[in-house]
Amino acid sequence: MKNNKIKFRFFTIPQWRQEEQFLRREHNNGWKFTQLNALICYHFEKCEPEDVVYQLDYNPDGRTHKAEYVQIFRDCGWEYLQDYAGYSYFRKPAFKMDGNEEIFSDNSSKLDFMRRVFKGRILPLISIFLCIIIPQMLFQLHLKNIYGRIFAGIFAGLGVLYLILFLQFTIQFLKYRKTQK
Amino acid sequence: MDTHIRKVYIPMTETGFYILFCLRETIHGYGIIQKVEALTQGEIKLSPGTMYGSLSKMEKDGLIRFVREEDKRKFYCITELGNLVLKMEMKRIERLYRTMKEAHENEK
Repeated sequence: MKNNKIKFRFFTIPQWRQEEQFLRREHNNGWKFTQLNALICYHFEKCEPEDVVYQLDYNPDGRTHKAEYVQIFRDCGWEYLQDYAGYSYFRKPAFKMDGNEEIFSDNSSKLDFMRRVFKGRILPLISIFLCIIIPQMLFQLHLKNIYGRIFAGIFAGLGVLYLILFLQFTIQFLKYRKTQK
Repeated sequence: MDTHIRKVYIPMTETGFYILFCLRETIHGYGIIQKVEALTQGEIKLSPGTMYGSLSKMEKDGLIRFVREEDKRKFYCITELGNLVLKMEMKRIERLYRTMKEAHENEK
C-alpha cells in the first residue's frame, strides 16, 4: 500500500475556494497535504481520515514579516504549511473550532484580501494582456501569411483565457461586496 | 483628517472599532482577539487573517503605531489620529443608540 501520492491540479488565481475544498476533501479521505511544488503537483501522505479546514491568505506584508505573521495564526490554532505563488497555506482541524471558523471573520477583510490579490497577481496580468498579448495579436494578423495567422490565433486564445480569468475575479469580488452591504 | 481616512474608517466596521478600542493600551494582535472575545462574552471571535490585515492597514494609515516585539508578537498602540477617529466613532455610535432608544420609547 502506497503511503504517498501526487496529484496534479490547476487552479486559476480566483479559484482559492476550490483549492481549499480540494485539500479538505483529500484530508477527509485520509490524505494529508504535505507540499505543493512549482509544477502544480500536490503531494499527500496517508493519514487517518479527518475533517481539516484548509485556508489560503495572500499578504505580501505577512510574507516579509513571516515570523510574526505565522505566530498570530498559530496562536489561533492554525498550522502554517507553506507559501505558493504569493499565497500562504494554513489548516486547522474542524473539531478545534466552534462553528464555521475561517481566517477572515468579516467581509470587509475578505475584500481587503481580494484587493491584495488584485494588486499582486491580477494587475501584472492586465499589463501583459494590454502590452503583449493584444499588440502581438494585431501585429501577427498584419503579417498576412500563414504563420502570422497561426500566431494571431494562439495570442487570441491566450487573450480569451485572460478575459475569463478577469471575469471570474470580478464576479468573486462583486459577490463579496454584495454580501457586505 | 484627510479624505482617505474618512472614506475608509468613518463609519468603521465592528471589527475595526473593537481593534482600535483595545489599542488604547499597548497590546498585540492575539491579545486583541482574546480581549474582544471576553468583552463580547464570546459573541465576536476575530480571525487571524482579519487581525493581521487590519493591523498592518491601520499602521500604514497612521491610526496605530508599532511599539515593540516580544516572542514574535508585535505590540501596537493607538496614535493621536487613531484617537481622533475612535472619538468620532464613539460619538456616532452614542448618537445612534440614543436616537434608537428615543424612537423606541415614543413608539410605546
